[in-house]
Amino acid sequence: MVFLIYAGMLKYSGFAGAGESVNELFNQFPSAVKSILGLGDLDISSILGFYAIFYLYFMVLAGLHAVMLGAEIISKEEHDKTADFLFVKPVLRSKIVSCKLTAALINIIVLNLTTLIASLIFVDIFNTGKSINDIIVQLILALFIIQLIFLAMGASIAAVSKNIKKATSLAAGILMITFIISVAIDLYQKIDFLIYVTPFKYFPAADIIMTRSYKTSTLIVSFILVSFFTFITYLFMKKRDIQI
Amino acid sequence: MKVIELDHLSKYYGKARGIIDVSFTVMEGEIFGFIGPNGAGKSTTIRTLLSLIYPSSGSARIFGQDCIKEGAAIRKEIGYLPSEVFYYDNMKVIDLLKYSASFYKNIDQKRIYELADMMDLDLKRKIEDLSYGNKKKVGIVQGLIHHPRLIILDEPTSGLDPLMQQKFFNLIIEENKNGASVLFSSHILSEVQKLCSRVAIIKEGRIMSIEDIKTLRSNNYKKFKIEMGEAVSNDYFNIEGVANLYADKNSFSFLFKGDINKMIDIIHSKKINNLIVEEPALEEIFMHYYEKEA
Repeated sequence: MVFLIYAGMLKYSGFAGAGESVNELFNQFPSAVKSILGLGDLDISSILGFYAIFYLYFMVLAGLHAVMLGAEIISKEEHDKTADFLFVKPVLRSKIVSCKLTAALINIIVLNLTTLIASLIFVDIFNTGKSINDIIVQLILALFIIQLIFLAMGASIAAVSKNIKKATSLAAGILMITFIISVAIDLYQKIDFLIYVTPFKYFPAADIIMTRSYKTSTLIVSFILVSFFTFITYLFMKKRDIQI
Repeated sequence: MKVIELDHLSKYYGKARGIIDVSFTVMEGEIFGFIGPNGAGKSTTIRTLLSLIYPSSGSARIFGQDCIKEGAAIRKEIGYLPSEVFYYDNMKVIDLLKYSASFYKNIDQKRIYELADMMDLDLKRKIEDLSYGNKKKVGIVQGLIHHPRLIILDEPTSGLDPLMQQKFFNLIIEENKNGASVLFSSHILSEVQKLCSRVAIIKEGRIMSIEDIKTLRSNNYKKFKIEMGEAVSNDYFNIEGVANLYADKNSFSFLFKGDINKMIDIIHSKKINNLIVEEPALEEIFMHYYEKEA
């Protein structure tokens, strides 16, 4: 992640030198290509616009990390067949789930803070204009909510799935589907009613940069999703037949 | 006091059979054998007792408490050794055992070293470097650290060499003398015969019978092996009380229970070359069970 940010900002320094000509070049791209790159109407030659592109990759990478971590940490004991050790100890299953989710939460917080700090440092190095630190913090905070959603989603997929071996790849697959939906929404405005289906559309960088705030509706949906997936995880783990 | 009570316990995996209507009781201080071929439902029963899986119907109680509702509390007093052992590969043996001990209260750490010493287990090695037999030893130690009141063993001897098996049996007998009850599942009869006072026999998910080892043995089955000196029909010895009759040319072998004089008369009326009468091994009595019910 750190490397991605550094390399990205390095590229930006090259870009910035070219100035307006880059914008002209990008404007010649069909809007579909710009959508897929996550550009929208942002000004690519400003550091903010450039950072917004990377924000899209952060979402995909951190989302993928979170959803796989969630699925992996719940399914691991059965997958590695250590379940026969852990689940016969005198602990409630709910406590095991709580410990696992806490560990995963710490893990995604570390990733989030790393992304934040690296972004602040490297953007600062290459930024020649006004400081954008406050916007970066706002974006990375939104990233954290997305991570939370995917973590809880991954955990619930593992708790529900009968075939524990496939849980992690299933979780990753579902993430890719939500990503594809988010791209599809960019391409066909007509299906924008689907924005609630894909967390990638909850906090679009362009909106945050323009309005400097999150949409209340997506915040509520995020909260409901995280609670729902967490509840499902506890419920199904309690009822689950542990098989190895 | 009843340590384990199973009451019409059934478990289906979808439509597939797990166990059907399994009922038996294990009394305190008893070493209870649980015998059946692979896939008969021994592990399913045990996993229900440990609340790893949920029964479709019926109930399982340990120390008088419901296995599902009071699972975590009951498991404080249970030591379990699964048939196949898997632990966290990156941990050292001693770390795993300490981790295991951390789940119980009032653990004497010295006990870990005592047991490891007894089972000849190197505590400093990594789990992933251990042979299967050594992993099994880790399983034995982690199952006994906390002096459980109930020890559940699911095919415990696979992977152990005969010397270790003997040490392991001695350890179990000692725990039993100190008051632990034992549920011993196996498909090897001779080891059950050595340890257990009673056995439940399970086949295709159902309990076939629950027997006293002593009565089983003193059931007066005699094993006959006869080589005939003249040709007789294959049915020649098929009288009442004969079981497991095998005929190969003029050689016969069977189990017989009943009036021994009748059998002597039948043998006496023909010329025979050789005759062996012996006490049958438990295996053969059980084979008789399986075949009779099949």
